[in-house]
Amino acid sequence: MALVQARGLTKTYGPVRALDDVTFEIGEGITGMLGANGAGKSTSLKLFMGLLEADSGTVEVLGRDPRRSPDGRARVGYSPEHDCLPRAVSAAEFLGYMAEVSGLPRTAARLRASDVLRHVGLFEERYRPMGTYSTGMKQRVKLAQALVHDPAIAFLDEPTAGLDPLGRREMLDLIRRVGHEFGISIVVSTHLLGDVERTCDAVVVLDAGRLLRTGAVSGFIEETEAILVDVAEGADALAAALTRRGLAPRVHGSRLVLEGASGGDYDELRDAIVESGALLYRLAPERQTLADVFAPPAADAEATT
Amino acid sequence: MSDGTAEVFDLGYQPYEGERTGRGARRIAIWRDGVRVSLGLGRGASAKVAPWLLIALALVPMVVLVVISAFMSPAQEAADEFELPSFAEYYEFAIVPIGLFAAVVGPQLLCPDRRDGVLTLYAARPITSADYLGSRWLAFFTVSAGAAVLPELVLYAWNALDARSTGSFLADSWDVPLRVLLAGGMVAAAFTTLSLLMATFTGRRAYAAVATLAVVLVGSAVGGIAEDDFSGRAADVASLVGLPQVVVAAARWVLADEQSGRPFGGIVYAGWLVLLTLGLALALLRRTRGLMLG
Repeated sequence: MALVQARGLTKTYGPVRALDDVTFEIGEGITGMLGANGAGKSTSLKLFMGLLEADSGTVEVLGRDPRRSPDGRARVGYSPEHDCLPRAVSAAEFLGYMAEVSGLPRTAARLRASDVLRHVGLFEERYRPMGTYSTGMKQRVKLAQALVHDPAIAFLDEPTAGLDPLGRREMLDLIRRVGHEFGISIVVSTHLLGDVERTCDAVVVLDAGRLLRTGAVSGFIEETEAILVDVAEGADALAAALTRRGLAPRVHGSRLVLEGASGGDYDELRDAIVESGALLYRLAPERQTLADVFAPPAADAEATT
Repeated sequence: MSDGTAEVFDLGYQPYEGERTGRGARRIAIWRDGVRVSLGLGRGASAKVAPWLLIALALVPMVVLVVISAFMSPAQEAADEFELPSFAEYYEFAIVPIGLFAAVVGPQLLCPDRRDGVLTLYAARPITSADYLGSRWLAFFTVSAGAAVLPELVLYAWNALDARSTGSFLADSWDVPLRVLLAGGMVAAAFTTLSLLMATFTGRRAYAAVATLAVVLVGSAVGGIAEDDFSGRAADVASLVGLPQVVVAAARWVLADEQSGRPFGGIVYAGWLVLLTLGLALALLRRTRGLMLG
């Protein structure tokens, strides 16, 4: 079921086209909005929240136009990229207040605030003014305030910004837990490919305001899986045997790479090795990273340099 | 029988399945928070100093005057010589602490939200920018109107107790509390709107306070000079930029105690004050909407 539907979305800031006729859907689970700075990720999230008005196109979140239906935001959470926490107030007080403003009765709001702070690991520090928190703690409070009213979906803009590697890993684990154990769908905006690989079920890739790809993260990886074959001798004979079987290996000295390999290719490879008499000493699937998937082809890269 | 050991059960995440409130309750939550911020409640001691000092400055002189009057009351001759101020006269003095209260404390309701980026979170909640601003405005209006009206109610209560017949005093002056509330409301509305509007231009509370005071003092000086040192219609119209003078004249009209010798009748000042407040309110709404929704 699509929780977010964007159709023909276009948004410009003066001469800059932040989003250019983008159409995609976001379903349940954890979805990464991936792209470099200026790709249109934050603009997309702000359009989903109704914080911006699109120049053209439509957006629906949980079946409602967020710009026209403020009440629809009662089941939506949002954590912006920039600092958004009052320094003089404690996390417990702030979250309770935000839950009330989001439509929870006062007593329930206070209970939820404490409960959510426990889940994000800030229960002990919940009465401290947030101005005294570290960057990692602030990011956790930002996440908590997006979840405190138990939304159906939460939009997190760059939730790992400013975190050290350990803090980043903990935050990604937390997001994964929220998405898979809490039953709250998450949309994470990030320019870090590793964050998407580690956390997300699906990905929407934006580049300069245009949609590059959308789909399941696992599908992308499988689609571009490669098999590495290292031989001690007989590389050329093996390449010839593979070519005869309709495969197109790339040969780099004693290493052959079969790109876009599927399960059946392993059988063909086994037979080709036997037929060619190549001396095999390593055979392994290579799991490409999203960086590899979205990197421009070598020819294009050379052409642009 | 228990073996003395305890177990901790992690219930995991519990989805919220209770009722959800409507827009009215969300507005009340923002209003309540605004009142707490205005009075420094739930904050450190330093946050309480300015609001309570200025409220005391508005209230204490009236209380002192009433206490002095109470002590003198048995001595008829002395009591005849000592006169409590009228409801209208009290505004001549009270306008200073009320104006200072608005300038110093009012920006606290918007500046930190703007400075700390919290406005984005409000914009992402199931409320509109008008809900947020209206609730914040009403919160500060409640507190400043309370500060304006409370001394007047103290005076009214003393007058009732000091009258030969409290019953006949109340029957004869039943309209006074209503006039006091209306006058206090007009004064508080004007200053609340002005101080919040100034607060939308900066994230620094001190700058907003200075800007509010500058508008009030410069306007007052220009209005005073126009009224006292010049004559003619243009000078009369120019005198309307003096917010304190306009506020006091409007309050006096509402309290049926107009001052003679002013360029315009009291109804003109009251009408102008209402128009001015509405104009400032529209500008405030536009500014806040722009800040929240970009």
